[in-house]
Amino acid sequence: MNNPVSRLYFAGIDIGSTMSKAAIVDSYTRLLCYVVGPTGAEHRRRANRVMEDVLAKSGISLDEVAYIISTGYGRVNVPFADKQITELTCHARGVSALFPEARTAIDIGGQDAKVLKIKNGKLVDFLTNDKCAAGTGRFLEVAAETLGLELNEMGRISLLTSTPVKINSMCTIFAQQEIITRLSEGEPLPDILAGVYIAIATRVAKLAHQLKVEVPVVFTGGVAKNAGMVKAMETVLGIPLLIPPEPLITGCLGAAILARDEAFRLIQLGEFKARKKQLGEAYIDFSENAF
Amino acid sequence: MNNYYLGIDIGSVSSKAVVIDDKGIVALSVMPSGTNYASTSALIKDVAFKAAGIMENEITASAATGIGGRNAGCNSYHGVILCDAKGVHYLFPAVRSIIDIGGQGSQLISIDEDGRVINFNVSEICATGSARLLQVVARILGISIEDIGPLSMKSTRPSNFSTSCTVFLETEIITRISQGDKAEDILAGIHHSIADKISALSRGVDLQPDIAIIGGGALDSGLINTIEEKFGIKALVPDNPRIIAALGAALIARDSLD
Repeated sequence: MNNPVSRLYFAGIDIGSTMSKAAIVDSYTRLLCYVVGPTGAEHRRRANRVMEDVLAKSGISLDEVAYIISTGYGRVNVPFADKQITELTCHARGVSALFPEARTAIDIGGQDAKVLKIKNGKLVDFLTNDKCAAGTGRFLEVAAETLGLELNEMGRISLLTSTPVKINSMCTIFAQQEIITRLSEGEPLPDILAGVYIAIATRVAKLAHQLKVEVPVVFTGGVAKNAGMVKAMETVLGIPLLIPPEPLITGCLGAAILARDEAFRLIQLGEFKARKKQLGEAYIDFSENAF
Repeated sequence: MNNYYLGIDIGSVSSKAVVIDDKGIVALSVMPSGTNYASTSALIKDVAFKAAGIMENEITASAATGIGGRNAGCNSYHGVILCDAKGVHYLFPAVRSIIDIGGQGSQLISIDEDGRVINFNVSEICATGSARLLQVVARILGISIEDIGPLSMKSTRPSNFSTSCTVFLETEIITRISQGDKAEDILAGIHHSIADKISALSRGVDLQPDIAIIGGGALDSGLINTIEEKFGIKALVPDNPRIIAALGAALIARDSLD
């Protein structure tokens, strides 16, 4: 006989500045399914879209989802969520689910960087930088634009050298000019790219050292998908890093697990009510495939 | 025969050359620095000599400053702080504090009655505290740098920006445009962002009157107004605020022969 609880599912949605992510877990906090996609300007449509996508991919209907938590920069724009939780709490939970031993998490996103100290699965301290583009994914985007390269291509090329040039400018704007100057001086492209990664890693490491880095260290966020960035971060910190198979989803995974915890808490209190909130209007698909 | 002296300032954005004689400024030239400082130096010298109507061998002594000044092939090289102090003291002997808003950073300098540097603070780590942000906003709004000042003065409600990073400001400016903010209000808001950064620089340097504002940023009358309001001061701005360090270098070259 089926335990009725085992048929409940829980969802987490993370609307980041650049990417939106959704995950579904079961009662045992097992990750069943996730999706990621660009955020764009229309947060609400995007929230509907990632939720529809993750339901379609998992074959689970909205009725079977007992609780939904939204997180991230655009978390207030998820009208169908039952609760909002900050991304720091969700990240810590998601990281601990994947790496129970983790003590430090470094997350570099599209527009910010965070360092989290975790103990027994709980967030105990953190520092963030969202004031300055240096040390965030934005710095990489600017460098890629300047050089006319794709982000993943940039990472691959940077691995071809062991002699990175030193990028002296801390400011993204000044570094952009420095990259052009280095190119005109005839520095090889791989050396320049490796220098760009070292510059970001140095900036983020400074943030991390303010909190004292304790191993094991987990590296997450979209920027952790970049092989050049991982190498630079490991070089600058002088330690190996743990990278989740999909570094983008720790936030939404944490939100989904917290959704499960919250639903169980309400069930125990006898206050749990079935969800009534439906998804919003159907999205307009602006992607190339839609036309 | 007249003695001529050359001062060159190869900055991150623009290069300047000034030719002086024993009486004062004879000629000056300004051009973009580009990426090859040595060839820019050769070119700007040429232009300045032509403007002065002299040949290179008529120059008695030369001095260079600025980020690329070491490649300028002059008799000596001096730091920008020293050249700023020298140039400002020559034009305005009563000035005790200098705010230099350059393309790649700003500096605050306090000098004594003889033009000697007492103290200074330099910011080269952030584009928002420099004139670079003005270039960025001018590009987005499709206007020229010279138009920024007059346009910004029409502002009645300066835009309030949530970030102080030039990169993030680029995005925020576009968002504000889409929300209907007027160009003059955006410019006035940007002036506040720059003035805030410069005000952070003033910690540790005692601002005493008279105060001069120089550098490319001083071409923007709206920015001057905002700084004057923020600091509660009235500033002196030279007619050609970009050439002061080059002028200072030329004066140092002249003094070196005394």
